[in-house]
Amino acid sequence: MTAPSDRAPEPPAAGPARRRRRPRLTPSRFELKIAGALVLAAVVPLAAALWLARTLTEENLAVALNPRVVARLEATPALYGDLFQARKQLYAEQARTLLGELPQNPARLKAFLAAAVERTPRLRRAALLDGGGAVLYEAEASGPNPDGEWRPATAGPVAVPDPARHGLPAGAALECTFAVEARFFADLSEARDLAEVYHSAEALRADIQRSYVRAFAVLLGAWALAAGLAGALLARRTTARLGDLLRAVRQLAKGNLSVQVEAGSARDEVAGLARAFNAMVREVRESRDRIVYLEKISGWQEVARRLAHEIKNPLTPIQLAFQQLEARYPSRPADPEFARLLADAGDIVREEIGTLKRLVEEFSSFAQLPEVRLEPAELNLFLEEFVRTSPQLGEEAELLLERGPDCPVALDRALMRRVLTNLIRNAIAASRPARARLHLSVARLEEHARFTVADEGPGVPAELRERIFDPYFTTRHEGTGLGLAIVKKIVLQHGGEIAVSARPGGGASFALELPLAAHEAPTAREE
Amino acid sequence: MVPLLRRAGLLALALALATRARDAPRPLASTVEAKDGRLLATLDLAPAFPQDLKRVLSNGLSNVIVLHVALVPEHGDEPVALYGREVDVLYDVWEESYTVTVKDPSNPRGLSRSFRDYEELHAFLAEARAIDLGSAAELGSKSWVLRTRIELNPVSRELLDRTREFIANPAAGGRGGAPSRSVLGAMASYLLRGAEPGAEVARFESAPFTAREVSTP
Repeated sequence: MTAPSDRAPEPPAAGPARRRRRPRLTPSRFELKIAGALVLAAVVPLAAALWLARTLTEENLAVALNPRVVARLEATPALYGDLFQARKQLYAEQARTLLGELPQNPARLKAFLAAAVERTPRLRRAALLDGGGAVLYEAEASGPNPDGEWRPATAGPVAVPDPARHGLPAGAALECTFAVEARFFADLSEARDLAEVYHSAEALRADIQRSYVRAFAVLLGAWALAAGLAGALLARRTTARLGDLLRAVRQLAKGNLSVQVEAGSARDEVAGLARAFNAMVREVRESRDRIVYLEKISGWQEVARRLAHEIKNPLTPIQLAFQQLEARYPSRPADPEFARLLADAGDIVREEIGTLKRLVEEFSSFAQLPEVRLEPAELNLFLEEFVRTSPQLGEEAELLLERGPDCPVALDRALMRRVLTNLIRNAIAASRPARARLHLSVARLEEHARFTVADEGPGVPAELRERIFDPYFTTRHEGTGLGLAIVKKIVLQHGGEIAVSARPGGGASFALELPLAAHEAPTAREE
Repeated sequence: MVPLLRRAGLLALALALATRARDAPRPLASTVEAKDGRLLATLDLAPAFPQDLKRVLSNGLSNVIVLHVALVPEHGDEPVALYGREVDVLYDVWEESYTVTVKDPSNPRGLSRSFRDYEELHAFLAEARAIDLGSAAELGSKSWVLRTRIELNPVSRELLDRTREFIANPAAGGRGGAPSRSVLGAMASYLLRGAEPGAEVARFESAPFTAREVSTP
């Protein structure tokens, strides 16, 4: 049996296996197994990862919150305090130095202060105050502070020793305003913030570690859940298709050979299984149809043989008896009316006997179809030879042969000629009274060779196409209904198929498919 | 099996008693007076502070001292009055002074004071004055005690939020405002929101007193 795998897939038949899937709420055991396996596969390494995360968090926190680091951070404000102390001492020392250099001439005091502001780093203002704090002389830096933003740091007022010596009133004092870089205070604030956060984190270390582990566990749990859901979804897709297959197999077991499953466009094993199942069911169905048809033909052949025998036997005595009756009757009859009646009856009897003899011949021919004897042939050459050696057909119809690619096949030349003759005579009869115009073409499929006999006649109605190959089925008055039955039987014996369809543009088209010899060494089909 | 279980039970009981003994409140020196119908307490908190309090408070960081006072019956646990005070102490290393901000029910936004000298600061902290414990009429004829809980440098809600932000966004260096860049950190930060870190906690309980022992000015 040859699988018709080169044909387009048949549309899936209606049946339980083809019903629309309704979403199930309860997972199947297979889905649970796959989802469980995925969750297990996700959770086992994730559990190890959780332990690792706990260890890593603990170690990272131990590094990040090292007590020495926290202690150093907490000590930072104190360091700034030391820095500020040093600056204050420096500024006080510089103020005392200026005080020691005060000129005795009061007229030079202002210039001295201006020069001091100019040459003393970070000194922004120097002022001599009286005992009440009122400014006597002062000088202030006019340009921007070289160190950028600054905050004032006041040194003094430092009392001027022996103010009279400098022409100053009693209680006079020197007040110096120095610049302290503002970034120190910003840095101090930043360091304080950081130290406080680290101190807090240190106090919360156990809670932080627990939070990290829990967060990791939540993420891992979400991951495992997602894996489980994905697994369930994937499993559901697969199990649904397997469920379809299972239902289809059960239908098949009940004898439903029209069942098919949706293979879909996937290229996985399940889709392959579905396609193989569909092909298997098609093959089984075609094989069954072939067997049924051949059995039916065989039965009809037996009937034809008996009919031929039963009809043929009395024909000769009838014919002889009537001939004797005619011979006994004188050539000059006394009763001319009876003579005419006898002559008419003779014509009728001879014509009907002739018809019965033709019928008997056809029955005999149908009943005694020879066994197929296959031999290699090239289909194009065979058809060309058939056309060339069938001039009588060429006289009755216009034969248009369209040659195709080389198609090596195995066929019984005599029987296949009979197939072609029957098809062409059928087409000629269908085209009457017009002269038949026939298109013979050859095509090579993947595993089959196809030749087509198409006419431009009225065609075969769609509702009759199923029955047209049945024996004794005919739409013509003078037909016996055996021609196409013989054709189909011969084609089936060649391992082929025959189908009738409408020819585009009008007419009937008979397509015969024979297995290519390269793919299968065909053997004659037994009835 | 039974003796073993009994032995384990006794061991657990002994541990529980030991823990309870360790957590038992220390005696609290206090005076209570009724003024204008209000019950005002003055507490000596000096025993609550560690020996190195000066070093702690002078480190230039924000230090927090939280005081909780409850007026409870001598034989009972249900307080009839509660008082809470938060004292923030910050030593300004430039100004070389202590800035103290006291927040309590009467000054929820805080009242600030400045101390140049640690001794003054210590005196201020050690004696908690005018702690309002509600109406003096609540005392009735019962015997009462003052239970006090002092926490040194607990992690405040604000500091907890800063720490959570620091975890969620380590790159921001603890200063808020920057969006989180760490999923794990953000989740850990979220889970940290309910953390209750331990602090240096000291518990005290005053001697029992009755309404008759409450002094009036």
